Amino acid sequence: MNWIGLYTIIRREMERTFRVVIQTIFSPLISATLFIFVFGSVVGSRIDEIGGVPYIVFVFPGILIMNVLTSAFSHSSSAIYFAKFIRSIEEMLVAPLSYFEIMLGNVLSAVVRALVIGIAIVGMGILFGAVSMHNFFLFFIYIIAIAVVFSLLGIITGLVAKSFEQLNILSTFIILPFSFLGGMFYTLDMLPETAQKIAVFNPFFYFVDGIRFAMVGIHDSNLFVGAILIGSLVVILGGIVWRIFYTGWRIRE
Amino acid sequence: MNNEAPQAGQAALEIQNLRKTYGKTVAVDDISLTLPRGGFLGLLGPNGAGKTTTIGCVVGVHKINGGSIKVFGHDVVHDYRDARKVVGIAPQEFNADFFGKVRKMLDYVAGYYGIPKKQRVERVDQLLEQFNLTKHKDKGFNELSGGLKRRAILARALVHDPDLLILDEPTAGVDVELRHELWSYLQQISKEGKTILLTSHYLDEVEMLANRFAFINDGKIIADGSKEKMLAGGKKLEEVYLELTGKKDAV
Repeated sequence: MNWIGLYTIIRREMERTFRVVIQTIFSPLISATLFIFVFGSVVGSRIDEIGGVPYIVFVFPGILIMNVLTSAFSHSSSAIYFAKFIRSIEEMLVAPLSYFEIMLGNVLSAVVRALVIGIAIVGMGILFGAVSMHNFFLFFIYIIAIAVVFSLLGIITGLVAKSFEQLNILSTFIILPFSFLGGMFYTLDMLPETAQKIAVFNPFFYFVDGIRFAMVGIHDSNLFVGAILIGSLVVILGGIVWRIFYTGWRIRE
Repeated sequence: MNNEAPQAGQAALEIQNLRKTYGKTVAVDDISLTLPRGGFLGLLGPNGAGKTTTIGCVVGVHKINGGSIKVFGHDVVHDYRDARKVVGIAPQEFNADFFGKVRKMLDYVAGYYGIPKKQRVERVDQLLEQFNLTKHKDKGFNELSGGLKRRAILARALVHDPDLLILDEPTAGVDVELRHELWSYLQQISKEGKTILLTSHYLDEVEMLANRFAFINDGKIIADGSKEKMLAGGKKLEEVYLELTGKKDAV
């Protein structure tokens, strides 16, 4: 294992992140703060408790996970796409780094960025009284696993995309709508019956619900199904990314 | 730096029946080439002949469709870590992070090669000084002039002190001063035992610097050998080139 090389990939990506700190850190933090303030404090103060907790506490896990997964996705997709676009990816390709190390470096740097965002949002949530913690270990595992899933998805998107517009297709048409429809702001029983049946096929529903259980202790979904889903996505997407690096598709052509 | 020094007598580069295709287009067609350790090879050919593709296959930027490449005995596919440790590449086109600072770029690339921090800092400072980049070290790559960019790319190729240095059109678009500096630097490191593969459309510089030539056209090696053999009878390299590439009558 080229540990220095692996650490360098992470270090470089983190420095790239902090080079554009307004875009990468402050923008999601401000967005999350507005969500917490508007939906939690302003609107939430007029809504009854849900599952025995104030609305702001109920809604916070969804806001948190949406920002964590968006950060992980944006980080890895833009890192790979940009490096491919300007061909600086060749600096890694000609170095004694394995496919696994390149993949791991990109995933870990995306996870670190997602964690930085997550910690900042939790800090902001504490100020608004929005944070509770039912099971910290589970919370940590969920956050990491979901960040890994979306960083892998970001790598695939960064490799597939042939333009900046294509880079945004997944986040615009999948991530954003599915997050909002994944129970961020409501419980399953608030939906019409047909919508409830459809909602269980939305993977984002399990992401939000798992984090909500870890933080608040209430859940709508079958947590076991959610855990299997997230674990399977890590393995399947990890396998796809490893295969892409191994074959050199869109990288070493 | 490279801890696995190549063994004496071992060829620096052995290309056997290399084939590289892009879809149905054959870019490199069954080429074989050997560069002895310490040799200075001028790889020549017209645009699109397959020079850059061949180099890309050697350094790992391109996947190989057939044949094999060994660098100091290390197969570039199966033993890629050891192979890449001993090769440095300065590509024809700038492939650096536009916004990254010069010093950082060298530091990161040295890190990719697994060089520990203390050695990395020393090596980067040494290269910045050597290529007159010290006062530009905190500038973004996109802020540099064309000549300074070329210097930075050359410094990057040398950051891990490779035994085989590959330079793809290193003097394209640079001023006379840098060209002369580069020539004397290449002559110096060649004397010190580095193996060099150079491509250039400036045949006079290749003739002056290299001690071996290989001519590639339409993806095939059409001739290769020592300078003495290729320029026998007092021929100029340009004359040989035009003869071999079939362009003599056109000139």
